[in-house]
Amino acid sequence: MNMLARKLIAKEFYLNRWLIAGSTLAGLAGLLVAAGGEMRFNIGMVTWLTTIVAFGVVLAMLGIATERKERALQFVLSLPLSPGDYVRIKLLGLLLCFFVPWAILSTGAVVLIGVMPGLPDGLLPFAVLLCGFMLANFSLVLCGALHTASEGLMTLVIIVTNMNVTLFIFLIGGIESLNFHLHAPAPVWNNAFWTVLAAEIATLAVTLSLPYFVAARRRDFN
Amino acid sequence: MTATKHIEMHAVRKAFRFFTLEDLTLELGPGQIMGFVGPNGAGKSTSIRLMTGLLTPDAGEVRVLGHSMPREQAVAKRDIGFVSDDMRLFAHATLGWHMQFVASIYPGWDAKYAQTLVKRFNLRPEQNVSGLSSGEHAKAVLLLALARRPRLLILDEPTSGLDPVARHEVLSEFMDVLRDEDRSILFSSHNTVDVERISDRISFIDRGRLIDSSDKEDFLERWRRIQLQLPAGTTVPDLPHVVSRVVDGQFVTLTTNRFSQDLLAFLGSNVRDVHRMSLEEIFVANVMHHRETRGQ
Repeated sequence: MNMLARKLIAKEFYLNRWLIAGSTLAGLAGLLVAAGGEMRFNIGMVTWLTTIVAFGVVLAMLGIATERKERALQFVLSLPLSPGDYVRIKLLGLLLCFFVPWAILSTGAVVLIGVMPGLPDGLLPFAVLLCGFMLANFSLVLCGALHTASEGLMTLVIIVTNMNVTLFIFLIGGIESLNFHLHAPAPVWNNAFWTVLAAEIATLAVTLSLPYFVAARRRDFN
Repeated sequence: MTATKHIEMHAVRKAFRFFTLEDLTLELGPGQIMGFVGPNGAGKSTSIRLMTGLLTPDAGEVRVLGHSMPREQAVAKRDIGFVSDDMRLFAHATLGWHMQFVASIYPGWDAKYAQTLVKRFNLRPEQNVSGLSSGEHAKAVLLLALARRPRLLILDEPTSGLDPVARHEVLSEFMDVLRDEDRSILFSSHNTVDVERISDRISFIDRGRLIDSSDKEDFLERWRRIQLQLPAGTTVPDLPHVVSRVVDGQFVTLTTNRFSQDLLAFLGSNVRDVHRMSLEEIFVANVMHHRETRGQ
């Protein structure tokens, strides 16, 4: 990675620092509430989940769509880089910005399930898949934002990715071989788990590589 | 040895759905300020986006500082300072942060000069960009481009948001840049007063075509308005290089783009007055003449 790429990635962290810190704190607060007992667990985990999903959407909106809309993109493109470089650096920069709170909050959730008395460890595969889903879902928003300058299309991407959360939980809930072990005293890492995880990794691979092959190769950049 | 041209555009074409930039050929040498003048929608910003590598030409060649654009734009932009009137800085960062950010990218950043500009433009580095007025913002963007000490400044309507005093300050800075003979400026504007003040070369563009390009002095010397008073019953024959003719009874006003003493001698005692034209008058007459010629 060259010096300019490092500076631009550092710029993403600087400009989004309050969002990153605020989201991490809000997610941790959710986990803290969840640790308060069985009744509070659901409220805390909904806060945790909503925080991570909303953080991803806002990060992509501020980092790409708003930068373009408010014409700061022109300033960035006046720097010694090509539009292709911009796409690659932006993708990596925002992914890292998301990754830090996501990693902290995902680890927190997994640890919480592991140590909290009364919670079956059978929940762990589900938690891991949910965390993987949120990373893949963010990469989908990021990919959409890098490919469209249209506010309408961007809104559609956000609506779809928000609906995905409910859809994912609903679908996972419908997979009997995963659902069956939710209340087991030990986690069960069966084929269904690995299949869903592979689908998440494939989604990540596609959505993260698409900008390299499409957005970064556009002939015209405005 | 011939010095590398800072901008070379040859037979460039770029088509959009409702607009086509056609056959644009343009050159800017080291040490020159070129005023790039055209009405709104003429193709100035499109041309500039081609120069900065943000657009790829459909045909023709664009070279900037010897680099082929857009392929080598990352290298070329190390020596280009690009500013446009709709360029914005990051609203939630301070001007000081932007200065540090740009300084960390450009080894040629002149910190002393940047401080001088901060004072001259009456800016406050600790202020958030969101709190700057539009004039202050325009000056901040210019500061960030000027303090890089680029060999080529490409400025797309840089003075459009500025009041007359700020415009004066900024234009003076442009003149300072040119003290170094290896630096050059391409300055796009429809404000002909600014262009006339600082440019030594001028190119007129209209409806996607370059209609004229020459030294400023050449334009000012070539173009004249000649007022005639004709004897009753006589007319002026068709003359070459007369781009417009307005008849009001026995009074006729001719506009020529090739003024010469021979023309005056031909018109003889009918000439009542000869006016030098301002750049704005030349620009308007030039545009109207080319539109008539092309039947637009």
